[in-house]
Amino acid sequence: MTETDLLRIDGLQKSYGDEEVLQDISFSMGEGDAYVLIGPSGSGKSTLLRCVNRLTEPDGGAIYLDGVRVNDEEYDVDELRRQVGMVFQDINLFSHLTALENVSIGLEKVAGLDPESAEERAMAELEQVGMADQADSYPAELSGGQQQRVGIARALAMDPKLVLFDEPTSSLDPELTGEVVSVMRDLAKEGMTMLVVTHEMGFARSAATKMLFLEDGHLVEEGPPEQLFDEPATERTAEFLERITEAESAGSL
Amino acid sequence: MLGSTVDPVVFQAGDWAFVLENLDYLAGGLRLTIELTVVSILLGFIAGFPAGAIEVYGNRLWKTPVRILGTIFRGTPLVVILIFAFFVFPIRSAFMAAILGLGLRSAAYQSQIFRGALASVDEGQMEAARAVGMSKFEAIRHVIVPQALRRSMPGFQNEFTIVLKDTSLAITIGFAEFLTRTNDLFQQQTTAVLELFLFASAVYFVLTFTTNRALDRLESTFSIPET
Repeated sequence: MTETDLLRIDGLQKSYGDEEVLQDISFSMGEGDAYVLIGPSGSGKSTLLRCVNRLTEPDGGAIYLDGVRVNDEEYDVDELRRQVGMVFQDINLFSHLTALENVSIGLEKVAGLDPESAEERAMAELEQVGMADQADSYPAELSGGQQQRVGIARALAMDPKLVLFDEPTSSLDPELTGEVVSVMRDLAKEGMTMLVVTHEMGFARSAATKMLFLEDGHLVEEGPPEQLFDEPATERTAEFLERITEAESAGSL
Repeated sequence: MLGSTVDPVVFQAGDWAFVLENLDYLAGGLRLTIELTVVSILLGFIAGFPAGAIEVYGNRLWKTPVRILGTIFRGTPLVVILIFAFFVFPIRSAFMAAILGLGLRSAAYQSQIFRGALASVDEGQMEAARAVGMSKFEAIRHVIVPQALRRSMPGFQNEFTIVLKDTSLAITIGFAEFLTRTNDLFQQQTTAVLELFLFASAVYFVLTFTTNRALDRLESTFSIPET
């Protein structure tokens, strides 16, 4: 836990009624890190991710972004979200706006750019994800993979310090996940700080600087991907990774 | 009134002539009908849209009175509302009383059109807007409302037609709109009953038909591809 941590999570806790979905979660990530969060469904991965930009308000613990405590009554939640992008499982593009407008609306209405510069910047982001030639298409006219690439462009346009990916490929047809994963891999390579919930083990292996294994609201194990894949410290991690890799290779046949 | 007359209810050239002679008088009533419709729909929108938004996004302090008022206005016959507005409350202008009665009743119905439309927008739209850094109000304004307004068009079209025809109930407070004037003429020449009221029906039909077509066009102009 150094001063240079971009994100530090300290003793994070969240309950729904009697059910404790996150128990004493602590970890930190530096600038340029790409962390992949894995775990069985219901383990609290998405809740953890949503606590970071406070779409879900944690019940206890502290979140620091760039050394500033951001889960504080005093701290403006909109200010936090301007610095943290999010990519959703359900994609959630604004369905009344074109691809270009989906990316530019935040620049215009939140960042306060004039429409022209917002559009210019949005176009550059679409180019980055290979969607520039579909700029004028509405979400309903795009495939799931194309929509999600626009979703990534929308998050990147705000110049976030950190981007959260909440199972970005889970709602996509298998043949469409590749284009999204490849965009994410490029991002990681360029040094974007990313916290990713995903079952794409290929991405984890090739792009993650660290993997975190979450189960029943506990952070069971964390380490570089080689460690979790090849010499997992706990039996649970080994079992889970074996199951998920099996499912993945079965699916790709 | 029909029972008191011995005149046969059949078409007569003289009765059509009577309708034509009074076209100016009827046209004046028609103008008032259109004015009453437009102003009432506008008042209904100005009060009904925020009311619908409050029912979806408001806290209990706001929701409760809005719901109670809406229930009262939806549960009371328009004739009763008009009589209250004109004879009980000190509104001495029949036009103003009619606007208030029709407008508030329409607001109560429009609030439900917009409540449904706002609530039908997927929750993920709000989350995505908040995640970009918009406040709740900005998200509603820039993301939810533009989608909800499109979805409310069919219901709004329906409401427009209902208000247009219900302006005729202003006859109960003697406001000289189109149907009141038609009825005045009927009192003068009871043999013209078919001619007068068929003519009135045709005029209402043409009005509702054309405004519905215009609203259809508006809807398709602003339509977006849906999944």
